Amino acid sequence: MESLVMLSFYCFAAASLAFVASAVCYVVYAIGRIRLRRTALAAPGGPAIVTHGASLEPAPLGVGSVATLLAWFGVVFQGISILLRTIAGGRVPLSNMYEFSSTFIFLAGLVYLLFERWYRVRQLGAIVLPLIVAMAAYVWYLPSHLREVDELIPALQNRPLMTAHVSVAILAYATFAVAFAAAVLFLIADRWHPSWLPSPDLLDDLGFRAVTVGFPCMSLVLVLGSVWAYRAWGTYWQWDPKETAALFTWLIYAVYLHTRTLRGFRGRRSAWILVAAFGAVVFTYFGNYVFGGLHAYGGV
Amino acid sequence: MTEATIAQPRQVRRGVPEMVVDRVWRFFCSVRAAIVEIAILALLVLIGTLRGSSVPRSLADAIPATTPLVDAWYAWDVFRSLPFAAILTLLSVAIAICTINRAPGIWQAIAHPTVTTTHGFLRSAEASALYESPLGRDEFVKQIGEILGERHYRVLSAEQNGEIHLYADRWRFSRLATFPFHLALIMILFGGIVGAAWGFRENELIVPEGSARELGHGTGISVRLNDFSEVYREDGSPAIYRSDVTLIRDGEEIDNGSMTVNNPFTHGDIVFYQSGFGQAVQLRIVDDSGNIILADSLPLGPFQSRLNPDAPAARMDLPQAGVALSVVAPDTNPTNQPELDTLNLKPGEMFFMIRPLGTDSPIEQPVPATVNQGESVRLGDLTLTFERERRFSVLQVARNPGIPIFFVAAILLIGGSMVTFYFPHRRLRGIIAATPNGSVARLAPIARRDWSATRVFDELIERISGETGLSPDITRREAAPA
Repeated sequence: MESLVMLSFYCFAAASLAFVASAVCYVVYAIGRIRLRRTALAAPGGPAIVTHGASLEPAPLGVGSVATLLAWFGVVFQGISILLRTIAGGRVPLSNMYEFSSTFIFLAGLVYLLFERWYRVRQLGAIVLPLIVAMAAYVWYLPSHLREVDELIPALQNRPLMTAHVSVAILAYATFAVAFAAAVLFLIADRWHPSWLPSPDLLDDLGFRAVTVGFPCMSLVLVLGSVWAYRAWGTYWQWDPKETAALFTWLIYAVYLHTRTLRGFRGRRSAWILVAAFGAVVFTYFGNYVFGGLHAYGGV
Repeated sequence: MTEATIAQPRQVRRGVPEMVVDRVWRFFCSVRAAIVEIAILALLVLIGTLRGSSVPRSLADAIPATTPLVDAWYAWDVFRSLPFAAILTLLSVAIAICTINRAPGIWQAIAHPTVTTTHGFLRSAEASALYESPLGRDEFVKQIGEILGERHYRVLSAEQNGEIHLYADRWRFSRLATFPFHLALIMILFGGIVGAAWGFRENELIVPEGSARELGHGTGISVRLNDFSEVYREDGSPAIYRSDVTLIRDGEEIDNGSMTVNNPFTHGDIVFYQSGFGQAVQLRIVDDSGNIILADSLPLGPFQSRLNPDAPAARMDLPQAGVALSVVAPDTNPTNQPELDTLNLKPGEMFFMIRPLGTDSPIEQPVPATVNQGESVRLGDLTLTFERERRFSVLQVARNPGIPIFFVAAILLIGGSMVTFYFPHRRLRGIIAATPNGSVARLAPIARRDWSATRVFDELIERISGETGLSPDITRREAAPA
């Protein structure tokens, strides 16, 4: 078992390196697009840049493809790392901040790449990948004893519900990270109208689509948490700080959705709500450090 | 036309009650008001969440002037406060009224949408496609209708001024999904009220091993803990702990079962949960007349003794003997503040002390004694036997008739949101007119600043172009920045 855990850690290390390299390439790619655009504008009869939708591929740009490829490497290595840890522990690794954050890195990378493939917007990687790298750095910073695979404490000994509840939470946070990145790029695009970014409408839509994945997931997190709480404690809601932090996050995204769909909020106002909502996600994610109550475990 | 024939809008005088009802209705229908209510609720939830954290304390440490505010913050139980209940109630009513108010419009859009449109609408749409076809007007309408039908669009048409107006939509019934979603939110609150009103919850039923305790709450049930077992890990933390219990009513055993954390024991609609455990001491106390004063197990833990604040301890009044009994066990962590341990008990020992209770107590001074397991000791005119160390189990017991409501609401909540988001109502309009060479059709999506809807329209146009062999003239109102 120890060798599997060690191998899992090596895979995480490899994934970290791949993500760092990918983040650098994504940033270079974004900067490169500015220079490319300037060159195109300077040259008479330069390449026509059709920007409706996300078809921002005026010419092959190697660094963008490399960035995507490295991100896929990172996701695959991180996936293997989680798989090995799952085999070693006989359960999906979700029980402390090391395991939780490792799975977040995997899902955030995967969700980002799916959105990149769907919308063909590589510029988003210049925001999401540095976020993933920051999370990887945080995982490296965590106490080394958390890297060991421990048995579950009695409160967590409900593997189906723990796997569903926690992994859906991570999926929600991952999609909210993508929505946040889209909002940040939107604000940049809206403020300075840079040529290297896709249309603000696309970014606005991308953020919205990410939330339409994340919001039902967040609803499911609250529901599954309630089901588990009922199974373990006899009540589906205890006003525990972690519960209410998740509810707070859910409410902020509910405000975003209602203002967008019913009040016609688009663009800047919606983007700022998304930025604030991601602040709520970060607060909920790292809340274990400051919360007491029933969720005050997780090895931090 | 004379002035007399022009209809003047009649000024309808409304009474004050009608105006008040109208204002209240409008307030609850207002999406803006609902959003403000959600925002206020979110703010209160944030305040309540931070109250359960160390953040306010850190604030007070950093800025001492905020200490009174922080103290007030910790003292305010937000989630049981009147403002919180008021905003929840307000929001529930707003959700209900807002949903009812939107229902006719939504149904109109589903069942009887407006088919006709204007050239101005089509020209000003963010995207539109113009086709010129050699087919006649009606044939071209039929061709477009068939292509849209293959993509599961409902196609409606109407003739106006010699032109065919076309309306097509897909997934129209998904607009109804907003109702189960919002109904679910009200049902969750209702489930909570039902649970609180017709259920009960016992947060801490402490039952020592070998003893029985009444559950109360009108159940007439007593819970006897037959056996408690625990398994520890190498680091000393519990890996699993289990309680085997028997339920007794009117002196008869009515059910048996066992429970661990996450695996409760259910009897009818009452559920027993394993919550915690601790050390207990089994005693027997008799007086000089042979009367049994106590023959039970006493849980150690809730009480803190001055003689060793770290050690598990208990206190119990024995009014029939006119004394109060204190028990202190050996320190479970002797290395922690050893200077406070004035007893220095060894494993297997237990410290007992009786104090006077009431004015007619048989003793005047406290009487202490340290006793080994299995031994007896005289304390005043009482004989105390420390029979053995035992365990006690902490159970939580609940009956919650609101749970089925919650589960139904959960399904509606998730299902409603998924249908709303993943099957959005897609619509397009068009006008097809006859020309000397055939016909011309202009189509446009109903999609204001909706990139996904525009993309769906683009795919649709691509399909129509592919099947008809026509090249559309695509207009985009606002060119995206390069």
